[in-house]
Amino acid sequence: MAVQTFLKPALPLLTLLPGLCLIPVVAILVRDGHGGGLPLLIQFAQGALQPSFDPNLLKNLWQGLQITLVIAILSWGISSGLGVILGFLGSRTLWRTVLGSAWPALLFRRLLSPFRAIHELIWGLLLLQIYGLNGWVAIAAIVIPYSALMARVIADQIDCHESPALPVLQATGGPAIAVLMTAVIPAVSSAIKNHIGHRLDCALRSALILGVFGLGGLGTDLMLSLQSLQFHDMWSGLWLLAIAMVVLDQILGSLQRKQRIGVVISVVLMLALVGSATLNLDLSWPSGTLGSVLDVLGDDHNAAAALFELNWVAVIGSTLLITLMASCIATAVPPLLLLLWPSPGSLRLQSLIWGALRLLPTPLSALLLLVMAKPSLPLAALALGLHHSGVMGRVLIKDIRETGFGSAQTLERGGATVRMSWLYGPLAEVSRSYLAYASYRCDVILRDTVVVGIVGSAGLGWQLIDALSSFHWWLVAWLVVAFIGLTLLGETITERWQQRLNCKAVVL
Amino acid sequence: MLVRERRAVLVACLLTGITIAATVTSCGSGPTGTESPVLHIGAIPDQNPEKLNRLYSSLSDELSDQLTVPVQYVPVSNYPAAVSAFRTGSLDLVWFGGLTGVQARLQTPGAKVLAQRDIDAKFTSVFIANGASGLRPISNGDQLTNLKGRRLSFGSESSTSGRLMPQYFMSQNGVETADLAGGAPGFSGSHDATIAVVQSGAYEVGALNEQVWRSNVKDGRVDPNKVSVIWRTPTYVDYHWVARPDLDERFGNGFTKKVQSALLKISPTTPRGETILELFGAAQFIPAQNSDYDKIEAVGRQLGKIR
Repeated sequence: MAVQTFLKPALPLLTLLPGLCLIPVVAILVRDGHGGGLPLLIQFAQGALQPSFDPNLLKNLWQGLQITLVIAILSWGISSGLGVILGFLGSRTLWRTVLGSAWPALLFRRLLSPFRAIHELIWGLLLLQIYGLNGWVAIAAIVIPYSALMARVIADQIDCHESPALPVLQATGGPAIAVLMTAVIPAVSSAIKNHIGHRLDCALRSALILGVFGLGGLGTDLMLSLQSLQFHDMWSGLWLLAIAMVVLDQILGSLQRKQRIGVVISVVLMLALVGSATLNLDLSWPSGTLGSVLDVLGDDHNAAAALFELNWVAVIGSTLLITLMASCIATAVPPLLLLLWPSPGSLRLQSLIWGALRLLPTPLSALLLLVMAKPSLPLAALALGLHHSGVMGRVLIKDIRETGFGSAQTLERGGATVRMSWLYGPLAEVSRSYLAYASYRCDVILRDTVVVGIVGSAGLGWQLIDALSSFHWWLVAWLVVAFIGLTLLGETITERWQQRLNCKAVVL
Repeated sequence: MLVRERRAVLVACLLTGITIAATVTSCGSGPTGTESPVLHIGAIPDQNPEKLNRLYSSLSDELSDQLTVPVQYVPVSNYPAAVSAFRTGSLDLVWFGGLTGVQARLQTPGAKVLAQRDIDAKFTSVFIANGASGLRPISNGDQLTNLKGRRLSFGSESSTSGRLMPQYFMSQNGVETADLAGGAPGFSGSHDATIAVVQSGAYEVGALNEQVWRSNVKDGRVDPNKVSVIWRTPTYVDYHWVARPDLDERFGNGFTKKVQSALLKISPTTPRGETILELFGAAQFIPAQNSDYDKIEAVGRQLGKIR
């Protein structure tokens, strides 16, 4: 065992390794920095201290927040339910127990990946074409990729928490379903509950981004303020959002300690529906025809013409580069900060930082970075990476709080320095699940390249936005296919990586 | 267990409280599809929300009074979303830009241009440059070749004055977007953001709506030492009101005509009219028709923004 640990790289160091990517990124930013946007940054900071209290604006922001919350909560609730069901269907353990073979699991996984390969924003804009401005469009836009993503996470959790009791129970000859219920569910229930809780925060941010791109709610107001650089107005919205995020987090925290979580969630859903009846949000059942969109597609020969319009190698290359850099930044920054500041007391401050990074929508952080440095791919990657490091930081701190600081104290008592004891104590304990989560984040970041068009219009995401705005459906179709292909490829790689990770974790 | 239950009650109370507060404070009109049809108006995003809210509550009231039907404003923050919402019937009457208006009409056969502002008949864009770029004002379009190899930012990808027409005039004078630094332009997202990225020096040149440029200069939001106009484009037609083809069917014969005359009737002599026109930055609305935008359609097709 000792020999094996010696031969393999230590897992906590793997969380820090991507940080090497920061060196070239920072070097390029220093080279391209111009500082000309300092007055704008100062205005932005002043806006934080002096948000606008115009009653008309506040009333509007409050309504916007309600719409965003209704969309977030409904889509979260529906996608959680669907995700759990689909997750079980995608688990190898389930099919192996029931059928004796795992191939249907693989089939389910592969069938679901196209659904999560498309960003909720693109789902939103595509569904909008068919159903118009309707509350369900925004909800479905989140539910489709979220259910597919949650299905993947849950299937992975079930497969990697395979209970030793399973073969024993099977040998007793009980029905497969009962065996699974007894052996699998208790083992994975806390992981699933945690993940479902985490998705609410994600759903809130997705609902916001959908608003940013025109589907209503607080995001719409924030985007309009951003477009006209009205930072005082924008901060009123951002503070409101911050309060909402904290309150939701608190409610969720107390819910997760409860047994009757399902009952409470359904109450929340019902309340959300009742509350939405008076909002400027149309939740009537949408109707529309696919025909109107298919008409636009027109001739077949346009399909080939559209395919040759883009320099695919350059576009895909820059997309992958942004994704890689942003993923490295998002993965490495939270553990780096943790080791810079290794104390239980500083965790609260760190979660504040991660909260702030999650709060700022990516188009905003891209603009703020852009006024300080010339446009470049690393700049786009930094804007994306910082936003997602907010998400990764939240996951890291939550994991560390759950595992506790006992190991760090033990190592410190043994004479190790504080930093070393945090590195090989708490960080080592959580790094397996942290790295596994980071591999899901890469997928999300790939899809999020959609939102950084401001920086030199690079990547597939920007091409997709431009094609949508020209209503160039064939190009949209090809770009969506490219996204699906990249996601499938990425998943195959991250699945391998996760399998290796699990082996290593056993050694640790 | 007691503590747990107490906490559950607390959470439930909190949620109920939030919901009741939400119900009481939200004053939006009820869901659509009730007895009397509602006229849904919208606009492409072009101004700050505080201004839009004031603008559209005044305008909804004005139209509602003149037309005697309920009018509801639906905010949309994205150009193509406004076009799609118009096509699917989520919006009945929309304030479009030149390009988005043509896109919307092509996708909604029978849709009709009703009116434009007095300034829209002869609209212009300006190219602005950062002082440090060394770019000097030019007197003629053919000198746009100076922009080759420079970092240039447009505004929104669907904007007529912030992208389409500037790109058209560049292309007329032999400058393609591939000739720019990095092989592609940036897209700041809005006219105001274009000023910010050029003033900061992130981009050397930017193109935007001249009306927005002037109002920024007037409000002292531009530093004349850092950024200045280098060229004004020839004139073209821009923003306009477009109505869906089925208004007469839904609201009664002649309704489209009534909407048009209601828009044209808005005058600075009434306080509400004055507010509306001031917020639109116009002296009055003037009649306009579909054919006024044929040139924009041709340019849109040439640059691939209309398929």
